[in-house]
Amino acid sequence: MNQFADNTTDFSAPAMVEGIAQVVKIDGKTAWLVPEQGSSCGSCASAAACGSKGVGTTASRLDNRRFRIDNNANLAVGERVVFGIRDNVLLKASITAYAIPLATLLLAGSLAQWMFGSELITMAAMIAGLVIGLGISRLEASRLHSKGDLAPLFLRRARPGETCSS
Amino acid sequence: MKEYLLLMFSAALVNNVILGRFLGLCPAMGVTTRLDAAVGMGMATTFVMTVAALAGWTVNTFLLAPFELGYLRTITFILIIASTVQFTEMVVKKVSPSLFQLLGIYLPLITTNCAVLGIALLLVDAKMSILTSVLFAIGSAMGFSLVLVIFAGLRERLAVMDVPRLFAGPPIAFIVISLLALAFMGFSGMGAS
Repeated sequence: MNQFADNTTDFSAPAMVEGIAQVVKIDGKTAWLVPEQGSSCGSCASAAACGSKGVGTTASRLDNRRFRIDNNANLAVGERVVFGIRDNVLLKASITAYAIPLATLLLAGSLAQWMFGSELITMAAMIAGLVIGLGISRLEASRLHSKGDLAPLFLRRARPGETCSS
Repeated sequence: MKEYLLLMFSAALVNNVILGRFLGLCPAMGVTTRLDAAVGMGMATTFVMTVAALAGWTVNTFLLAPFELGYLRTITFILIIASTVQFTEMVVKKVSPSLFQLLGIYLPLITTNCAVLGIALLLVDAKMSILTSVLFAIGSAMGFSLVLVIFAGLRERLAVMDVPRLFAGPPIAFIVISLLALAFMGFSGMGAS
């Protein structure tokens, strides 16, 4: 995860957010991976003193985030690999998942308030706007997914003892 | 329109959640070691804070206030926030499993974020209308995200600096965030608070 750890980092290359995952299943030319414990919060310098440390890092939650990549590197079950996500993907994903529904919620609420001036109608319009926004998000997410924009990329096999914060 | 913009400006900068009200300090220290994590957390918090404000206003107006159940407000809002986070997680997972893989890790952390509860309670105390409540929540969340992103950018630079050993890690981070709080004090007295 630490892009500054490697002294030979090429700063002209597209920025990549790195993480470490373990191969849990091989399915033909597809490898299924589970990210290793060490969420952004769990791996922070203050993790030992933070009340939120355990949240988001339990085995079931990590298993819930199982993902797949093309197994072109002949990976085997149990191997640890470094995967990467392009830097702008997280922003694109956040906008798709959160900004679109919020924008439609706000737009619907403002229009309802301006047209009717009733709190009850505004509330109903906001809820309707949220639902419509989630529908648009779904369409946009499937478009990004089909383009392969959201897919994690295999970078290399992890070195022994390598962690996402090393 | 001007009134709404001033309200959002005031919520985001003048009375900033982290640097002005001192709420949500745990994520401010915990998820700001990397810029991408700060952006993800900021966006997720914005969504949850806004939906929780909408749900909180609705429950307070149609349930707690008419039946004089104000003493149940805090516990009800905690329940609303936890439900909103759970709802958001389910929806993101349903909308796109790929998005859930990228963003799902930030959601459970918001349940324990006191900034979300603080803003929901502030909105009720201020007796705002529903549109004003939602705009105030969005403004506060934008201020929260702004500080996370600025602080994460500063910490990424600090990570490659030659910081004296005694100050490395949290000590220098606390010094930096206190300087950031001083900078935000420059907004004091501006806007409609």
